[in-house]
Amino acid sequence: MKKTEVITFEQALVALEKVVERLEKGELPLEESLQLYEEGIRLSRLCHGKLEEAEGKIEMLLKDARGEPALDAKGRPETKALSPPENEEAG
Amino acid sequence: MQQKGLDFEGSAGPRPGRRRALTVSELTDRIRGVLETEFFDVWVEGEISNLKRAASGHVYFSLKDADAQIAATVWKSDARRLRFRPEDGMHVLARGSIRVYPPRGSYQVSVQLLEPLGKGSLAQAFEELKKKLEEEGLFAAERKRPLPVLPRRIGVVTSPTGAVIRDILRVLSRRYVNLDVLLYPARVQGEGAAVEIVKGLEVLNRLGGLDVVILARGGGSLEDLWPFNEERVARAIAASRIPTISAVGHETDFTIADFVADVRAPTPSAAAERVVQAKEELAARIGALQDRLGAGLRLKLTRTRARVEAAAAHRVFAAERGRLHVKAQRVDEMMRRAERALLGLLNRGREGQRRLRERAEAFRWDRQIAARRERLAYRSGRLQDLVQGGMDRRRAGLARLASQMEALSPLAVLGRGYALVWDEAEGALLRNATDTEEGRPLRIQLHRGVIRATVESREPE
Repeated sequence: MKKTEVITFEQALVALEKVVERLEKGELPLEESLQLYEEGIRLSRLCHGKLEEAEGKIEMLLKDARGEPALDAKGRPETKALSPPENEEAG
Repeated sequence: MQQKGLDFEGSAGPRPGRRRALTVSELTDRIRGVLETEFFDVWVEGEISNLKRAASGHVYFSLKDADAQIAATVWKSDARRLRFRPEDGMHVLARGSIRVYPPRGSYQVSVQLLEPLGKGSLAQAFEELKKKLEEEGLFAAERKRPLPVLPRRIGVVTSPTGAVIRDILRVLSRRYVNLDVLLYPARVQGEGAAVEIVKGLEVLNRLGGLDVVILARGGGSLEDLWPFNEERVARAIAASRIPTISAVGHETDFTIADFVADVRAPTPSAAAERVVQAKEELAARIGALQDRLGAGLRLKLTRTRARVEAAAAHRVFAAERGRLHVKAQRVDEMMRRAERALLGLLNRGREGQRRLRERAEAFRWDRQIAARRERLAYRSGRLQDLVQGGMDRRRAGLARLASQMEALSPLAVLGRGYALVWDEAEGALLRNATDTEEGRPLRIQLHRGVIRATVESREPE
C-alpha cells in the first residue's frame, strides 16, 4: 500500500488485521516479516490518527422559522457552541 | 314580569291573550324535562379539567374540548367503582345522563361510567401503526444497520434545554472521548413536535458528515412520548441514511421510533454510552493488534535466531561463517528499523498522553470544590496509569525485542568465544586455511579487542 493512498479507517483496520495475521504465521523470510511489521506500525498509527480526528466540538444548529439551518455569509450552517454540562454527579 | 306587545299564544297560562310569565322554577322544570329526557343516556368524550374531590366522596370536574365545556359529577357510589383515578388533563369517555340542578340553574353530566379514553385510543393507535409498519417490514432485523465502526461526529435531535442533552454531553465529557456533537434543537412533546423531529432528521441527513444520529427524549406519559409514535417520525427514521439510535423515555417505555431505529437505547445516557463504548473498544482493538504485531515479529526473530545458531554450531566458522556474518548484520539493520518504527509509536503514545492531560485540564469545570477536584485527579491519574501501563508494556516489548536482536548480532556470537580473522594486508575475511599462507599478518577480532598475529602454519582440511 502506498503512503499517499487515501484509505478509510475501516480499510486501515482490516489491512492491519491481515498484516498481523500474516506476521503471526511466521512463514515469511525475516526481511519480509520486518517490512510487514513496519507496514503494521504505519497502519496502526493511521488508525490511531483517525480515531482522534474529531475535535470534540459541541454545537447546536441555529435554525430559521421553517426549521432549516440558518446559514452564514459563506453559506455554511450557523451553529452555537454548547458548553459542557456542569458536573452534577452526587458525592 | 310582563312584556308588552308580545302575544303568548298557545301558552299554557290561565289568561289567554295575555302573556303569562313562567316562574323561574317552572322554566327550569321544563328545561329539566327536556334535557333529562333527551339526554337520558349519553356518551361523551372530552378532557378532564378542574377536578375536585369533595370530602363527601363525590368527584366534580369539567369535561371540555377546544370550544366548549360541561360540568360533570361522579357520585360517591359510582366513584368507588372507577378503575382508574381521574386527573386533570385526561382524555376520557363518560357515560351518564344530563341532570339539571335547579338551585344553580346549571346542568351537568351525572357520570355513571368513566374510562380513560386518551390512553385507550392512543394505545390502539400505537398498536395499529406498529402492526402496519411491521407488515411493511420497517422493523425487520435485516434493515438494522450496525452503528459506525468509528463514530466521530454525532447528531442529536432533542430539546436544547432539557436534561436529555445535558445527560448525553455529560457522558461524553466524563469519558474524555473525542467526539463532535451537533444538536438539532427540536421540541419533543406536544403540538408540532413530530414535525420538528422529522425536520431535524432531514436536515442532519442533508448536512452530512455525521456518523450516527441520536433521537432522544426523557421520560413522560404516553401522551408526552407520543410524537415518537407518529407515523411521519417512523418514516423519517426509516429514511435516514445515517444510522439512528432511539433513546426515548425510560427503560420500560417503548415507542414506534424504538422499533424503527437501528438501535434502541434504554435511556439517552445509554445511547451516548453506546457510542463512546464503540470508540473505546476500537482503541483497545488497535492496541491489541499492535501488541500482536510486536509478538509476531519477536516470534519470527526467535525462530531465525534458532536457525542462525544451529548453523553456527554445526559448521563452526567454516564455510557458513561469512553468511552468518552477513545475516547477522542484516538482523542488526532490521533491529534498528524496528526500533525506529516502535519509537515512533512510543512518541505517539506520549503525544496522546499529553493531549489527554490537556483535555483533563480543560474539563476542570469543578474547580471550586476540592472533593470534585480530587475525584478528577484520581480519574486523570488512573487514565495516565492506563496510558502509562500501555507504554510500559510496549517498552518492555521493545527491550525484549532488543535482547533477541542482540543475540543475533555478530558481536554476540563473538561473545560466546568465536573470533573473526582477517588477512591484515588484503582486509579479506578468512574462511579456509588455504585463504592465507605462512608468514602473512592477521587481524583477529575478538568479542572485546583485536589481536594481531602471523600465520605460523596451516592445516587445510
